[in-house]
Amino acid sequence: MPENSRHTVLICQGTGCTSAKSPQIQVSLEAEIRALGLPAQVKFTGCHGFCQRGPIAIVEPEGVFYTHVKPEDARDIARSHLKEGKVVERLLYPDPQTGERIPHYKDVIFYKEQNRVVLKNCGHINPESLDDALEVGVYSGLKKALQMSPEQVIEEVKKSGLRGRGGAGFPTWQKWSFCRAAPGQNKYMIVNADEGDPGAFMDRSILEADPHSCIEGMTVGAYAIGANHGYMYVRAEYPLAIVRVRKALAQAEERGFLGDNILGSGFSFHVQLKEGAGAFVCGEETALIASIEGLRGMPRPRPPFPANSGVWASPSNINNVKTLTSAARILSMGADWFAGIGTADSKGTVIFSLTGKVANCGLVEVPMGTPLRKIIYEIGGGIPNQKRFKAVQTGGPSGGCLPASMLDTPVDFGTLAQVGSILGSGGMVVADEDTCIVDLARFFLTFTQAESCGKCIPCRVGTRQMLNLMTRITQGEGQRGDVEKLISLANTVRSGSLCGLGQTCPNPILTTTRYFLDEYKAHIEKKKCPAVVCRDIIIAPCRHTCPAQINVPRYIREIQKGDYDTALAVIRERVPFPAILGYVCFHPCEAKCRRKDVDEPIAICSLKRFAADHATDKWKDRAAMKPPTGKRVAVVGAGPAGLTAAYYLARLGHKVTVLEALPQAGGMMRVGIPRYRLPAEVLDKEIGEITALGVELKTNTRVQSADKLFAEGYAAVYLATGAHLGTKMRVKGEDGPGVLDCVTFLREASSGQKFNLGIRVVVVGGGNSAIDAARTALRLGAKEVTIVYRRTRKEMPATHEEIEEALHEGAKLEVLANPTQVIRDSGHLKLECVRMRLGAPDDSGRPRPEPMPGSEYVMEVDSVIAAIGQMPEDLAEMGIKVGRGNQVEVNEDTMATSRPGVFAGGDVVLGPSSVIESIAQGREAAMAVDRYLGGKGDIAETFALPEEIVPAEVAEGGAARARMPAMPPAQRQGSFSLVDLGFTAEQALAECRRCLRCDLEE
Amino acid sequence: MASATDSIKEQMKELLIPYKGERGALIPILQKTQEKLGYLPEEAVEEIAKFLHISRNQIFGVMTFYAQFRLHPTGKNVVRVCRGTACHVKGGHRILLEVEKRLGVKEGQTTPDLNYTLETVACIGACALAPTMVINEETHGEMTMKKVEELFGDASKGDHHA
Repeated sequence: MPENSRHTVLICQGTGCTSAKSPQIQVSLEAEIRALGLPAQVKFTGCHGFCQRGPIAIVEPEGVFYTHVKPEDARDIARSHLKEGKVVERLLYPDPQTGERIPHYKDVIFYKEQNRVVLKNCGHINPESLDDALEVGVYSGLKKALQMSPEQVIEEVKKSGLRGRGGAGFPTWQKWSFCRAAPGQNKYMIVNADEGDPGAFMDRSILEADPHSCIEGMTVGAYAIGANHGYMYVRAEYPLAIVRVRKALAQAEERGFLGDNILGSGFSFHVQLKEGAGAFVCGEETALIASIEGLRGMPRPRPPFPANSGVWASPSNINNVKTLTSAARILSMGADWFAGIGTADSKGTVIFSLTGKVANCGLVEVPMGTPLRKIIYEIGGGIPNQKRFKAVQTGGPSGGCLPASMLDTPVDFGTLAQVGSILGSGGMVVADEDTCIVDLARFFLTFTQAESCGKCIPCRVGTRQMLNLMTRITQGEGQRGDVEKLISLANTVRSGSLCGLGQTCPNPILTTTRYFLDEYKAHIEKKKCPAVVCRDIIIAPCRHTCPAQINVPRYIREIQKGDYDTALAVIRERVPFPAILGYVCFHPCEAKCRRKDVDEPIAICSLKRFAADHATDKWKDRAAMKPPTGKRVAVVGAGPAGLTAAYYLARLGHKVTVLEALPQAGGMMRVGIPRYRLPAEVLDKEIGEITALGVELKTNTRVQSADKLFAEGYAAVYLATGAHLGTKMRVKGEDGPGVLDCVTFLREASSGQKFNLGIRVVVVGGGNSAIDAARTALRLGAKEVTIVYRRTRKEMPATHEEIEEALHEGAKLEVLANPTQVIRDSGHLKLECVRMRLGAPDDSGRPRPEPMPGSEYVMEVDSVIAAIGQMPEDLAEMGIKVGRGNQVEVNEDTMATSRPGVFAGGDVVLGPSSVIESIAQGREAAMAVDRYLGGKGDIAETFALPEEIVPAEVAEGGAARARMPAMPPAQRQGSFSLVDLGFTAEQALAECRRCLRCDLEE
Repeated sequence: MASATDSIKEQMKELLIPYKGERGALIPILQKTQEKLGYLPEEAVEEIAKFLHISRNQIFGVMTFYAQFRLHPTGKNVVRVCRGTACHVKGGHRILLEVEKRLGVKEGQTTPDLNYTLETVACIGACALAPTMVINEETHGEMTMKKVEELFGDASKGDHHA
């Protein structure tokens, strides 16, 4: 007989769990227990603060933690766990990093790393039972306080260092002593539970889970200041909290913890519950007092301070729920204990509502001074879905947004204020790359503008003006100077407002303009929302994300109509390399496709290839050349950036010569991307279209001096020489035979050079080039190809499809490893690596790989290919300014280098990038060079007739993304033939039907 | 119409009794009235003014200051889409647009068949379940387009929430 007599199942019935039917779980479980005749009992509790995993059930005494419990799970819990003592594995919490199921509450990292002082009873007692509360020590602080003098109580709180948890951080003892000292008979003790900060819910949680602790603290405070009357001001939006507080007040009064002559001490205290009616400004104490009096909740100037003249003109003291609950704990556990937690000027713990783009959302209580990084990455479990961290917002509408570089900031009153944010009411919202910072700042302003009570003109008018500016920016109508206007307005509002709302509401603007200025600039100057959020400037997310802004939804519709020629014409309107892109683009568009919310993103790239493969050249009918300008332009480098610029400049009537150092044109498309991904004929055909326009192509021509080009009569020079130098691994022994750099390897392999790589090849790196090198090595006869990467597969920059293909073809992945030295041992090559582990994220939001000392190991190899990066050659000899990593410095708006008449773009400016980004650069350059030569820089082309929209049904959710047929892996050995064979017409059509047609939405 | 007015007056008289002599009773009275009548009709305001010996103007000032009070009757079901920060970051705005599309009304409006009133709320404090919405008293968490469709797909047909 298993030991089941002591089992108690605690079922959470906070707002979150209740919404997911937790009361029904209790009913079902009780029925099961009765049916099985088990001696176990079921109790309900308040909020555990981990609502995201709710409904939550804990089985005591073992402390087994079940998440996402459904009423139908009651059967398994009763039969397996309660009867047979076998834990129900499938309901256990899976670790967000490892996926491992964790049985015990105390081992779940979300709780393990917390220090729950204020929240200690939440989720462990029945909030509607005073006996439960007494059993865990609630009211023991009050008992102690009543045996002390009020002055002693204040002294104890002073010793603890407690500061107000409502936001401002004013010392609690001081507030209490002011009110105690104020003349007057009727004094009031008020609890501010008007938790109006959208994104914070700890007050709700405390009142729902442990209302007696707050009442205890309130009574302690009332005793200290000499108040006989009190109000609890609770938001009306928290109906469950109101019910529980009402019950708790009645119980406390019945048992003598409230009312007349409390616990025989002679002290009397009566509390009335007030429901707030929905006004954020009522979090401000003078506004809250007005609201209690039944007036509009508008703040008034202080002095007089509420301590002297508060509610009904009587001395009043207002504290936050967390402050008072902390006070209760201080009295019960001692001031020294409390003062031992936290930092020198911020004692005790702080509670955050951790929400947004973080794996574990919920209430987090940590000692003051804990770094943001620990809260987000350890307790919060990091950013889900392999997205990158962008910002953390603390303090709600009154707080600020901090970037990754500030993640080591400790959370306490002083430090957060220094960097422009505040602790505030404890909201902590994490934003990832899909969150638009400008939109987030605008969101807060929308809120504060609506909640401004209107009393102070700077706040009333200023928030409106700031909101208008922000709206304009997010709609793509921002103007240069808007950011400066915003900052100036923000400072006016801050300094000219009476209460906390006005004084702090500019913080979101001030911090985002300070830390995320680039995102503002993208909206204002480029009319782009990098996170693809601001709807008014986005027609369709795919098109908005495409660096060349190809009209994706339209060409998808044209394919659907069967009009492949028009589809190609639409693509051609933005890029001169539709087929090449169809074969090799890294398709950032697909990552933002809205269809992913339904099932999977549209296979946009493959559809582009389908159009290019199946269309004729009808687009040429509408292509026209401008009359010759007589100006000559030299384009240095025949890669995607150079050729794109050449194409558009030729169309504009300029005489263009492309000078290429290598024997063939194409740049990285020729010598970087292997032929099994991009056949030579596809490349040749599209380059042929450009030379057919009269662009002169001189290969095997290395340019070393811009002076010479100008002397030859070129009016402008565009440098697009790419990034063809491989980066070294910087490990001992890498210089010598058997170690190659990826760029050289791929270049030489593409020209048909024979290699003797041997049997065992290690490729070091995680980008697309590393995958290309691995797959090329396999084709050249290597038998064991291992890709060594220092982070995990999740962090690999290579596209998912490419990694999959490499694995299919037999490559192995060795992650969390990094080379430390190359050993040459009497002709035998060895690579020593060290095991890595993921540390905290770097400023880019990716976890930093850290070597694990002593974990070195040696691999026997025949060749090593280093694919860890590439950089441009140094072009300083051209008389232009060159920056870090040999990257040429250009003016972002004009693409002009430091030398007049010389422009630059592509990898030589960006560092290693993609074909589509280089094309976008080439377009920019063509416009800039044309303007420099006296033209208008208008490169827009129209090849397709205006669209006729045909209504069509969109495929229902669950329709799988089409998979392209491919050459079987067995046939790929030794062959550079094309692997991906392209969609069939049926597949293409089915894929088109999945498109949600976002651009046609109203 | 006279009878409706009389009925409101009757109900108000009864409702107001417990508040006799209470200081700062205006907001609780308005809350109670709205709980009972669904909104704050002019007739009720008149009764409250008489009872508290304050002007209707003053009451109107308070009513329009707080987000909770409604001056117009609502539909049979009240849908409140949360517009808090966590919900915003997790796509709450798109949920709102989808609900608007499904119900055919904008925020603050009631469907012509009086079945639904669509409102937004600053935050319901269920941030860990973002994006959220409340239908009458029931909270719905982790909303998706699909869940909106399930909830309101047949909104035009009837009152499955009533």
